[in-house]
Order: sequence, then structure tokens, then C-alpha cells
Amino acid sequence: MKTMIRFALLAVLSVLPAGVNGDEPAPASLNVFPADIHLSAVRDRQLLLVQAVLANGLTVDVTEKAELKVENEGLLRREGTTFYPVADGTTKLTVSYGGQAVEVPVVVQNCQVDPPVSFRLDVMPVFMKTSCNNGSCHGAARGKDGFRLSLFGFDPEGDHYRLTREIPGRRINLALPAESLLMEKGAGQVPHTGGKRFEVGSEHYNTVLRWLEAGAPNDPGPTPAVVSVEIYPKEAVLDGEGATQKLMVRAKYADGTDRDVTSLAYFSSNNENSAEIAQAGLVTAHARGEAFIMARFETHTVGSHFIVLPKGLQYEDPKTPENNYVDTLVNAKLRKLRIVPSELCTDEEFLRRVSLDITGTMPTMSEYDSFMADTDPQKRDKLVDSLLQRKEFVDMWVMKWAELLQVRTIANRVEKKPMLAYYNWLKDRIASNTPTDKMVQELLSARGGSFSSPATNYYQTETETLKVSENVAQVFMGMRMQCAQCHNHPFDRWTMDDYYGFAAFFSQIGRKQGEDPRETIIFNSGGGEVRHLVGGRVMAPKFLGGATPDLAGRDRRQVMAEWLASPENPYFAKNLANIVWAHFFGRGIIHEVDDVRVSNPPVNAELLDELGRKFTEYNYDFRKLVRDICTSRTYQLSTKTNETNASDHKNFAHSELRRIRAEVLLDCISIVTTTQDKFPGLPVGARAVQIADGNTATYFLTTFGRAKRESVCSCEVKMEPNLSQALHLINGDTSNAKIRQGGLIPTRLKEGKSVGDIVSELYLRCFSRRPTEKELASLTALVAEQQNTAEALEDVFWSLLNSREFLFNH
Amino acid sequence: MISGQSRRSFLHVGFCGGVGLSLAQYFQLKSAQADIKQYESKEGSAKSVIFIFLPGGMAHQESFDPKPYAPIEYRGPMSSIQTNVPGVFINERWVQTAQVMDKLALCRSMTHGEAAHERGTHNMFTGYRPSPALQYPSMGSVVSHEFGPKNNIPQYICIPSQPNEFAGTGYLSSSFAPFSLGSDPAAGGFSVQDLQLPGGVTDERFTRRRRALDAVNDYFVTKEKADSLDAVDTFYQRAYGLISSQQAREAFDLSKETDALRDAYGRNTAGARMLMARRLIEAGARFVTLTYGGWDMHDNIAAGMNGQVPPLDQAFAQLIRDLEARGRLKDTLVCIASEFGRTPKINGTSGRDHWPKVFSVVMAGGGVKGGLVYGTSNSTASEPEDNPLNVEDWATTIYHCLGIVADKELMAPGDRPIEIVDGGKVRSELLV
Repeated sequence: MKTMIRFALLAVLSVLPAGVNGDEPAPASLNVFPADIHLSAVRDRQLLLVQAVLANGLTVDVTEKAELKVENEGLLRREGTTFYPVADGTTKLTVSYGGQAVEVPVVVQNCQVDPPVSFRLDVMPVFMKTSCNNGSCHGAARGKDGFRLSLFGFDPEGDHYRLTREIPGRRINLALPAESLLMEKGAGQVPHTGGKRFEVGSEHYNTVLRWLEAGAPNDPGPTPAVVSVEIYPKEAVLDGEGATQKLMVRAKYADGTDRDVTSLAYFSSNNENSAEIAQAGLVTAHARGEAFIMARFETHTVGSHFIVLPKGLQYEDPKTPENNYVDTLVNAKLRKLRIVPSELCTDEEFLRRVSLDITGTMPTMSEYDSFMADTDPQKRDKLVDSLLQRKEFVDMWVMKWAELLQVRTIANRVEKKPMLAYYNWLKDRIASNTPTDKMVQELLSARGGSFSSPATNYYQTETETLKVSENVAQVFMGMRMQCAQCHNHPFDRWTMDDYYGFAAFFSQIGRKQGEDPRETIIFNSGGGEVRHLVGGRVMAPKFLGGATPDLAGRDRRQVMAEWLASPENPYFAKNLANIVWAHFFGRGIIHEVDDVRVSNPPVNAELLDELGRKFTEYNYDFRKLVRDICTSRTYQLSTKTNETNASDHKNFAHSELRRIRAEVLLDCISIVTTTQDKFPGLPVGARAVQIADGNTATYFLTTFGRAKRESVCSCEVKMEPNLSQALHLINGDTSNAKIRQGGLIPTRLKEGKSVGDIVSELYLRCFSRRPTEKELASLTALVAEQQNTAEALEDVFWSLLNSREFLFNH
Repeated sequence: MISGQSRRSFLHVGFCGGVGLSLAQYFQLKSAQADIKQYESKEGSAKSVIFIFLPGGMAHQESFDPKPYAPIEYRGPMSSIQTNVPGVFINERWVQTAQVMDKLALCRSMTHGEAAHERGTHNMFTGYRPSPALQYPSMGSVVSHEFGPKNNIPQYICIPSQPNEFAGTGYLSSSFAPFSLGSDPAAGGFSVQDLQLPGGVTDERFTRRRRALDAVNDYFVTKEKADSLDAVDTFYQRAYGLISSQQAREAFDLSKETDALRDAYGRNTAGARMLMARRLIEAGARFVTLTYGGWDMHDNIAAGMNGQVPPLDQAFAQLIRDLEARGRLKDTLVCIASEFGRTPKINGTSGRDHWPKVFSVVMAGGGVKGGLVYGTSNSTASEPEDNPLNVEDWATTIYHCLGIVADKELMAPGDRPIEIVDGGKVRSELLV
């Protein structure tokens, strides 16, 4: 978009006086789409859109109001703002509005040529546009009502066969094309479960009819591939309910031609409540909010970002202070949305929040005292720096990586010994601050025994070629490729070719048993291929969205690893930065973090890009990234909302309540009750965060949603509440027995502490704050009601452990 | 997003909003606004389901589909007996069950193509074939999603605990997870995990604790507003309801039954689990899943069946009789299912191996006809012959009895509306 605006500004020519259109304010700039017009066949055409950008950032669709002037009028015919070819030649089109003008170069070629209707280029897109081949209709794996099309057209050859040959004479009638079942069903002239998909005589109807009239031919040879699809405008900020904006979609083909495919692109909105999209390509604004409008054509999905604001909204930039680039980029987005971020959280809140997030522990009483007493204005930064040096920080990230790498024992496959070696390898890498790219490269290209070269356990934890490849894509690039195993990804750019091409990197992993039966040796077998599901072609290894590398004499995995964990792979740094971000905010800039796809765009692309760039620039030292995040003002915002940001939960305009994850919660209960746990294979007093094996389960950890590491899905860590959790904290051992075991209350009573002092200490331990006067009064009164003070104080302790304030990071 | 809510965000809200809305209502309300196939679930002929799952794959030949006229290598070493429905024979070990056959519908034509335990199990718990791209919710979790709790009893309960990963919530929020008893009701000193107040905490003291907790929570809940906070509160209220309601607590207490009845069920795993299931559905549970035994009989099938069937037979027949006597059979659907059947021919170790092409399931009560044999297998019990019953139709029929339209779409991650069951039809021949 930026480039578009820049282009538009450069192209501005002051030809007309301002305010031609009276009531509209004069635009700050004018965007004209497309930037150039190419017409190259008699059926070609091009829609032109004009978007005015006002000084306050709002955009207005002024297509109908702009003045369009073609220099050589003989070349083009115009209907509305769509241009059709009349004669070959070049000319230019001048678009003027509100005192600004933009020139659009026009080229018309081959305007007398009328190419035949192509099955792939013309007919297949109709099936997608009219939803014939989507998953709930004929695109279903078993088809619908006896007729199947490939899902979103991944198999044109098969579709042509099924239409023309599968049940001869049923679906098409070449003698009377208009009476083909295909036409009659599609036009709703005969009963059709899917209803009427197109009108008789409509553009789509005519395309299919023309193809039938020509004898329903298959394409004689390969058709030019679509190399890119563009959607315009790329963004819009609409002023109030009812505002509209037309869209234009243009496809570019490998033969250098382009085509206006607005009428063939399938449109969808990820938030119809704010921006509704009609299949004709018109967006209508509704409630305030953001929406991503997507257009799918062939295997390409492209999106445009829409913001809808209440009509005539008054907004004044709060000029929020910015600690670093994180704040600059978050605030830039908030400004567009007219949202004012919350105030800073208190020192107490910050201390508890950042200790839980960085180290997974509660601040001790002395940490509390010294932090609160510190008058240095930089004390928050100092605290972050000191927490980053703690070994608990390492433990936290070893746990998170152990989830991504599925460190666990598996019966008959991964024994305890190699699992521990794997865990220790990981721990060593994180503790020594090995650059993440180096660590990942070492992991993915690992060879040798699962004892001596523990990273090889990665290929022992999962042994199925396709699954290994899916896991690598999901963990390191955030992509769920599974869909593309059986059909082109319905919500993303990935095709089956991409899927099997990437899987081919993992087709030559050799596995054999070591001398010790518990050890497996992973080696490069040098043989073995991956075949495409449709047609069984052997696939050459190809980077996802990248090149087909030269593999001569090299281990495929090595080549893949060197590309994957490098700046050449556009997804790696951003994906890991997003994972780190999500840990501190409870949601990713792309959410979920392992659901990166075109149709799930980042809420703040500039921010994600910059985090990825910084991560690369820091030589993949994620501690530096953590420091940037935790020292940003955005991380330190209060949970208290204001009128403008209360209903926003995506743009990091205020802090969110986040339930504390299972391991950390158990550790915190142990810390505040001064008790110790004993987990299998670990010494007494070790923390739950340090458990190596995903298969280690305790009732508490399972109930509160610890990941079993059976899959790489980020969804394995469960944060939702359930009945068993509530019952366990109310009646279970973890709260009740630990309060007793720790003996904190009898100890304090013996020391002669007053009830008020003890209640205050419990508050400091659990909440990192002192009780309010009201709380202190009501709780001391409650204790005073009872004979047995120790028991009454235990009840207070119990209530703190059961409280919402304890359960959440805030 | 500012004030509008996207379909995706409904999903990620994941929690109960606002006062007076149950979790399920919250989800229903939210999904109702989305552009998906939407039907309201209303209690149907079955108020509850008792789902008896026999893990390992029970042989259909040695249970509900004997082939007494098949050659010996197909017939196997066991014989069959007449039931109280003329002309219907079942395996000789199911003596008691034979006497309640007039209350049961035997489906002898169940079929799916998954011969691996976990894949077959997936089918029978979710009504879907396994997908690499999506985790489907179990029937119990869907029921939990569609209906709120009654009388403080959790909607979906597993006895003794969640039997496998497919019995969970799949793509639905884990708030709809089954409530597990946590230990076997047949065990001495059985108690439900965390249901009893801890030692030293009397009801009176518990009331004080709750007062203290209210005092502590007050500051935070006044200051903070979040759906996640309300959701925790919902479950605390449910927990209090369960702990404080004597009626609810007693639902889990088998000692409230007479000795005679407990003996009639059998004082063993099968008997205790089924009696527990009956108590729970009476108390208000919607979907109770229980497992019994291990049925993966690759070797010596006769010995295996002789060992495992009698307690199951006794308990199951007693469950049917007991429900009938209490007038609850008409609104309680009891199902027996297993992940698949076993191979037509006896193998080299006198056992049978995995066979998903045809096997038997049992349904009774809750609007299902009694004394019915639905569907047949061929003469060697190797292929379905009449009315093949696929997993989709079977699950759809169960949902139908519960009052849930299985064509309804629930929202899965990535804005994917997913039918509860994809393309299933109600087999009305099974219904009253």
C-alpha cells in the first residue's frame, strides 16, 4: 500500500481546481487502480477504481465521481469505469478528482483476436466463483449427489474427465449445449440441491455454454500459469455504516498478460459484522471494526485490509510515549483505529507480571521490597535485565522448545535415556544462548546416534515422512500444511505440489538400531522419493514458497536446514518472533502462532516484520527480543481499559488477563506455600517447568492443561477452565495439603506476628501487593470470628490460592 | 477488531460472557450470529445416553452376530442361544442379555474401514473418520456443548476416566471436556476425585472459606472485566453446586443403593460402572461413557469371552431391567459399541484379528425400538448384507434421539464451520 500511495503522490498533476465535487473534502492523495491498463484480446476488459485518501486517513471510493479522460479515445470503449479494447495502440488515461490528477498508461494489443474458451483458464474459475467445487458441495471428497469436482479445482484433468466422460451423455449434451444437465442444474432450471448458481445469459453461464458449444474441449497443452494475483485497493478506512468500496482483482500470467478477474474471484470477509463483501466485489461497511477481505482466484488468495470507523468520529492523537520500536508500531496501528492505549500498569503489577512471564516464578518478599524502594526511573528495564540472567528464564524456554520439539518418551520408539539426552541437548543450547538459527540447523540436519548426537531424536519422535515435513512447517514456519496433502490448501497459497515438494526433503532419512537397543542411528540413506498423490509423479525437493535447490551430493535435510533457518526463508524469523511475542501477550500478532496463512493475516504486519528483522539483526539471540518486548510500554500497559480500547482484544491496546499455565501455576503454589514437589526423575524441590518428559503426568498438571507433546500444535497447552480444576483447587491436595505442609501460618504465629501482618504477607506472596484497608478489615474480622486463629488464617490462605487474582497473570 | 466480533473471535473468546448465560448458551448465542447451519437443540426422546464402550474390538461372532451354520473356521468354538425374541440367537455366554432382547435393537451391519485401534475408536467416539487437519469432538463433548447441566451434575461424565483422546473435546473449547470420576467405582474406598471436602473442613468451615474467598475476589473482579474471568466463575459456581448439593454428591455414591440391587448388577467393575452410570443419568447427566474390559482377542477367543462376558452380560441385562423398572428406559439410550469387529475366520492362535468391514452394535431405550435386529451380515459375518450401517448414520441417529440435529455446524479453528456429523442420515427404522 505504501508504494501505491507513493506512486499516486508522484503521479499527481495539478490540472483542476480543488473542490470540484463540492461537499467532499479535498483528498490528500488519490489512488488509481490499476496503475496501468493492458488489453490484449477482444474479450479483455479492465475495471478502473479511484480511491481518495483524506487528510485524516479516511478513504472514499470516488470512482463514480472522478473525471476520466482518454487521450486517444478511438482505442477504448467505456462502460461505467470498465474499459474495453477497440483498436490497438498506446495512449494514456487521466483521472482527475478534487484538484488532483493521476495518469494511467494504456496499451491495447491483439484487440481483434478472440481466443477459444479454455477449460482451465475460463471454465474452471466459474466453478470456484459459483461455489460448485467448494467443500460442502461437489468439492467434497465424495462429491455431492453423485457428482464430484476437485476441491477448489486442484485437479482440472480429473474434473474434465468427470464432466465429459464419467457418465457419458449425462452431464453434458453437445448436441443441445443449453440443455446439458450442467447448465440446467447450474441455472436452477431443474431441481438442484445447490440451487441456482448463475443466471441464464449471465457472464458465467455464457462462458460455460460457449465451451460446450465448442465441443467441451480439454486444453490442448499447458495453459499459462497464474504467477500473481493483485487486489485493489489494498487497504481502506471507511467512514461509518453504509460506506462502500468497490474492489478490483487482477491476475498476471506467466506469458506476460494480465486479466481483470474481478468477476471470477471468490470474495470473502473474515468479519462480516464490520465489512460485508458481495460477490460482485462491493464492500459495505457495518459496525466499527477491522476486516480482512480476501479474493481467491485459482490457487492464489490475496487480501485487503479494511477498517470501519463510526461516522464522524472525533479523535485526538493522545501522543502516547514510546519506549522503543514496538510502541511506535503498535501505536501507529492504534492511531488508524482511533484507539487510545491504556495507561501504564503499577510497579506492583509489573513486578508480578514480568516475573511470571520471564521466570515463571512469583517475586519474593525481598524482591518486592527492593523493587518498590528503588527510585531509579529505569528500574523496570533493570528488572527485566536481571530476570533475563536468571536460570529460571532458561527453564521456561527449554520447556517451550520441548513442546515444539515434542520431547517425550514413546513406547518402543523413544526410551528414557535418549529422551533425556535430547532434553539436555536442548537445555544446553538455550542456556549457552546458542543463536536460534544455529540450533535449528543443527537439529534439522542432525545425524548419528540418539545417545551421542541427541538432536537426532527429532527424527525418532516422528518417523513418518509426511508428518515430519508437516511438523517442520508448523513449528518453524507456523504453517499448517496438512490440508495440502489431499487437495490444494483451501485457505492459503499452498498447492499439493508445494506440499509434496517440501516433504521430499525428508524422504531420505535412514534409521537403524544402535548397539544399545535403546539407541537409534539416523543417517542419510541417499535414496527414497516422495510421490505426488495425484498421478504419482516423483517430486523434486522444493523450499516452501522458494527455489528448487541443487542437491548434488548433499544431504537433503542439510540443504533444507540451511535455507529454513536463514533470512532467505521469509517465515522463519517472523514466526519465532511471533512465538516469543505470544508468550508475553497471550496471543500472537498472527494468532494462533502456528496458523500462518494468507487468510489469517497479522493484526499488525509492520510490527511482525520489524520483530523478525530485529531477530535476524540480533543474530537470532531471542533474549534481546524478549528485552525489547518487556521494556516496551505496550507490554507494561494496565489491564484497565478506557472507552476506546475496552472492546479491542487483538491490537495490544491494553493488557489482557492470562490464566497462568499449568506448570507455572503449580510452581507458584509451591513457592507461596513454601513447599516442594517431587516429580519422577527429578530431585525434590525441582519445579514442574523442569520436567523433561512430556509423558510425565500428575493430576494437577493434566487437569490444568499441560501439553503432552503428542503433537506440535500450540493448542496442546490448554488454558480454558473446567470443573475439575475448580474442584481440585477447592478440595484437592494441591491447595489444602500444601498449606499444611508448608506450615507458614503456625511459623508466623509462633514468631508472634499479628493476624494483620500475616494476612499482609499472604497477599504479598500471592498477589505481590498489600491488601487494601477494606480487605484487611474484612479478613481480620473473619479470622477474629473463630476460636482457632491458625485454622482461620489457613482459610484465608486457601481463599487466596482459589482467588481469580492468583490464577491469572494481569 | 473494535466492536464487531468476527466468527473467529467467537471461537477464541472461548468463555462464557455476561450474567445469566450458561457456557453452552453463550456459545450458542455467538454461533447463532455466524453464517452457518444452525439448529436449536431441544431435548429429544432420549434425555440421556449411557455409552458402553468395549475397547479392543469385540468379536461380533462371539456376541451379537453368531453364525451357527457357517463352517467351523468361521463359526468358531462357541455356540449360540435363543433369546426371548423368537428366531434371534446370540452367543451362548450372553445368558441374561438374551432375556432382555425384546428391549434391544441389535445392529448387525455396522461398518467402517478403519482396522487400527485408534482410528476405529476415533470413528466410534466422534462419528468422523480421522482427519490429519482437524481434531473432532466426541459425542459427549458435543452434547455438553449443546445442553447445559441439570441439577448441578456435569453433562458429560466418564467412568472411570476419559478412556482415550477421542473422547475429548476435539476442536471445541476444553470447557466441554468430560468430567472424570478419577477412580473405579468398583474399588474399595471409592470416591470421586476432589468431590469431598478435605479432612478437617466441615460444611460450616467451608462456608467461611467461601466468605473469605468472596472477600478476596471482590477487589479483583470489580477491577477486571474479562470473559475468561467469568468462565472461571461459572465453574466455581458449578463446583459449589456439586459439593454443596447432597443430591448431586449422592449421585456418585453407590452405597445409597440396596445390597440386593448392587448384587444384581454384580459387585465387580462391570456392575459398579453400570450402576454408577444409571445413578448419574438419573441425577441429570446427559452423556455417560463407561468402558469395560479388553477385547483385543487375537489368541484363544473362547477363553477370552468366557472370562470377560459374564460380568458384562449380568450388569448390562440388569441395567436394562433396572431402567425399565424405574420408568427410565424410555428416555435413556443405552449403547454398546466397540471400535470394530473381528476377522471372519479363526486364526492360527484360536483368536480373531481386527475386522472393521462388519460388526455389531447394540442400542436400547431412548426412543429406539426393542426386539429389533437391524441389518445383517453375510453368511460368514465378513460383509454387511442388508442395511449397512455406517458410522455417520449411526451417530446421527444417536444425536437425533438426544434432540440434536447432526447437520448443525459448529465453528472450528480457522473459521471452519464443521457439521456435527458430515452427511449422516437418521435411520428411522430403528426408532419407535
